[in-house]
Amino acid sequence: MLNLTIDDKQVTAPKNSTIYDAAKLNGIKIPILCHDKKLKPFGACRMCLVEVEQMKGRQIPACTTPVTEGMIIRTATPDIIKARKMVLELLLLNHPIDCPICDKAGDCDLQNLTYEYKVDANRFTDEKFQHEIDYNNPLIERDMNRCVLCGKCARICDEIVGFGALTFISRGIETKIGCEFDEALNCEFCGSCVSVCPVGSLLARPFKFKARFWSLTKQKSVCGYCGTGCNLTLGVKDNKVLTTLYDENQGFHNGQLCCRGRFGYQFINSDKRLTKPLVRKNGVLVESTWDEALDAVAARLKGAGSSVAALATPRLTNEELLLFKKLMVASGSNNFDHSAGYAHAALTAGFARSFGSTAAPSTILDIQKSSLLLVIKTDAYETHPVVGFEINMAVKNREARLSILSDKRGKLSKLPDAKTLVHVPGTEIAVLNSLARIILDDKLTVDSAAALPGYAELVSSLAPFTPEAVESQSGISAADLRQLATTYATTEKALIIFPIGQAYPGHNAALATAVANLAILTGKLGTEGAGVLCLSEKNNSQGAVDMGFYPVDGGSDASLILDGCSAGSIKTLFVAGENPLISYPDHARVKSALDKVECLIVSDLFLTETAAMADVVLPACSFAEKEGTFTATDRRIQHIKPAIRKVGQSRSDFDIFSALITRLGGEAPATPSALFAEIAASVPGYAGMSYITLGEEGSFAPVEVKPVLTAATAATMPACAAGTFALLTGSALYHNGTLSQYGEGPMHVCPEGYLEISRGDAATMKIGENDLLTVTSDTGNMKLKARITPRMPQGVVFTPYHFSGNPVNRIWSGAAVTGVTLAK
Amino acid sequence: MNPIKTFVPIINGLKITLGHMFKKPITLQYPDERPKVATRFRGLHALNVSHNKAKCVACYLCPTVCPAKCITVEAGEDANHDKFASVYEIDMLRCIFCGYCVEACPVDAIKMTGEFELANYRREDFVYSKERLLEKK
Repeated sequence: MLNLTIDDKQVTAPKNSTIYDAAKLNGIKIPILCHDKKLKPFGACRMCLVEVEQMKGRQIPACTTPVTEGMIIRTATPDIIKARKMVLELLLLNHPIDCPICDKAGDCDLQNLTYEYKVDANRFTDEKFQHEIDYNNPLIERDMNRCVLCGKCARICDEIVGFGALTFISRGIETKIGCEFDEALNCEFCGSCVSVCPVGSLLARPFKFKARFWSLTKQKSVCGYCGTGCNLTLGVKDNKVLTTLYDENQGFHNGQLCCRGRFGYQFINSDKRLTKPLVRKNGVLVESTWDEALDAVAARLKGAGSSVAALATPRLTNEELLLFKKLMVASGSNNFDHSAGYAHAALTAGFARSFGSTAAPSTILDIQKSSLLLVIKTDAYETHPVVGFEINMAVKNREARLSILSDKRGKLSKLPDAKTLVHVPGTEIAVLNSLARIILDDKLTVDSAAALPGYAELVSSLAPFTPEAVESQSGISAADLRQLATTYATTEKALIIFPIGQAYPGHNAALATAVANLAILTGKLGTEGAGVLCLSEKNNSQGAVDMGFYPVDGGSDASLILDGCSAGSIKTLFVAGENPLISYPDHARVKSALDKVECLIVSDLFLTETAAMADVVLPACSFAEKEGTFTATDRRIQHIKPAIRKVGQSRSDFDIFSALITRLGGEAPATPSALFAEIAASVPGYAGMSYITLGEEGSFAPVEVKPVLTAATAATMPACAAGTFALLTGSALYHNGTLSQYGEGPMHVCPEGYLEISRGDAATMKIGENDLLTVTSDTGNMKLKARITPRMPQGVVFTPYHFSGNPVNRIWSGAAVTGVTLAK
Repeated sequence: MNPIKTFVPIINGLKITLGHMFKKPITLQYPDERPKVATRFRGLHALNVSHNKAKCVACYLCPTVCPAKCITVEAGEDANHDKFASVYEIDMLRCIFCGYCVEACPVDAIKMTGEFELANYRREDFVYSKERLLEKK
């Protein structure tokens, strides 16, 4: 710590901080336009000028000058104020000053500073800018006439998002922010540029003219899409969520969001929301009352025993999932599951076996402390974009090395010095096993590894996985495998990042075991910056596992539940929030199961394809209307509070399950907080937590690791027949599950399914961009538009799974790799 | 009883009454006779028009400043991507005619006219829509 004097106040500041940081740390405000705490200092706006006595009273920018011992700084002398006024006058010279029609008014740094420094006249005159305004983009409106050239948008796009869509173009007085060759914006649409823009140059178009900043109620919440657990601030007016607001002090990600988090909120107040319970009468769903609907459901559940089953979405809160489980227990059934059953197997079977805990030991914060990141599949960026930003920052700012094992390349592969080893689809386990074998052969294991249970079995099971054997199988050269294994084992702080989800059936218990073996053999078990980070798909996937919402004690998993429905052993199926018809593999099988089950009950926000088949539809609430807790992928438990009143007559799933438990003669907890007390008392790691102690920050549930080595058996993958392509399913960057279809932002950018195909294959088959292809597999066929990308290896195609319009489960029956043929 | 204390005030009063008989009457024979309101009178609002459309750009400053919360504005985007008030309503039952809306307006889009006959038979008729508020020429 250094001692310095700011405005006659004795303060201390860390050694590597700038004058601006030191002042901010000590509660002294220095005005600035071009600074964001996530970005590197830039020094563009010249508003933060201060005087330093040692520098002979010269005016120097506070944001780029490091502090030194004994510095005497003055931040508001008459000379400085005069200089700042002049800076503002010059900025306002070309600025249109159209505050009445600018959506930024009220939240505008330039407006606030102009007011604060009382700049009510301008000594200079000049023409205003006449740049063309980009109204065409559905998400980001660019009006460069208002720009003050602080460069924050260009810097955040480069430094954090790693896309580089915006930059300074032209020179001198004509300098402006634009895209390459001044073309239209075509980027990831994460909206980071919009969030940091200090003026109204970059605006969120979905929110355009909707409300003024000062009329919004700001409610902090947690994003309801992926498992990253990003914190959001919802802008609410007249009981409607109108926008998401940027707060640089929120969460581990400092307010950084992705496309779906920032622009995908419209599902909350969508016109398509269900507002009344529906009951099927004479074959038609008709509007009904809550009493009638709940009575009908309770009658089906009462004493039904194992003829009733439940499928839930992990988007429900912890409290709701536990209550749903209690409801099933009250009706005498232990058939309940979530996420198609296999999507959480990596946690509930894989890590449970290897780590002795249904969670991976590392947290997202470890990414910034690690020196080697080993990412299994480039899809980690698509499934969890904000984790992707953390990886970008670790690689770019801290020079962490990045190795990727993947069946295709991706955005992460483009990072500086990223090493992507592309393997043949479906050979992940063999590749990881060979890494383990190299580590064993080269004696790179930690000393304690040999004493661990399962060591001998593991060693013998790894015999076939010589690097040479795996080279021929996976296509990754033995030398590359050796190098990766050595680097991983010898790097003290190495972190494995491993995404799981419904579109990734290959990321199963066996792969999780293979991942865990690597970490256990090399002793990377959740110390700072080292370990395994499992990225679970939905916002509360980890919570659903922690609440035990998966079959134990002989209950049926999702797959058996669907079989039971078809076979007639399950007569009542209660689906809360899931849309199996679209998101579960094998459309025909799910359809026949839902057709055959006697009574289908669905609680959902929308009349989804599954809800349309139901006998009773209960309108549920979104995350913005209820209270509860979500457990993020790294076991960070966060409390959410309602931002708006419930839409229509909808009820939270908590209220629905409570009412049903009461009707079944049980006793339901009065409030979510009462139930959370029970969770805190019973779930490992949650001890001592309550809504009050969670606060706004949330807290981590520690993972206790009891390492066990287990052989990871690679399921023999049927080789794709000659002339067929290996179809991979996965997530699109803009979507998460099927819910994001109801968010306008994601649908503007990515409205329908597509098939990514390599350039080489496209050229051979004479396929052009957007050509409609018929994709045929053993289970069916469907039409998808072609998207030609350099990232796919030859013979491999990829499609995202989110879309009701093009349900991929017509051709995908749940295999990690499906052989398909393509025809124009 | 003091006769002076009793009768002098009565006589003084009658003097005033008698005096008024020779002055011009203040009372108006409304509605046959109309009052002439001062230019700064704060009566019914009117939305100023320029180039055949309302000058209002829906900046929301009037509903923000309005102490009676009687103004409802909703902004829209026209074909030229300009901001305009797709809804502009004033609830005259709530309005206290303070004139802050006129003072706050950055584009001189609203004024207060001399119109004071605001009685209506139904409550909903007191909510003046944009069409009713547009300046009459």
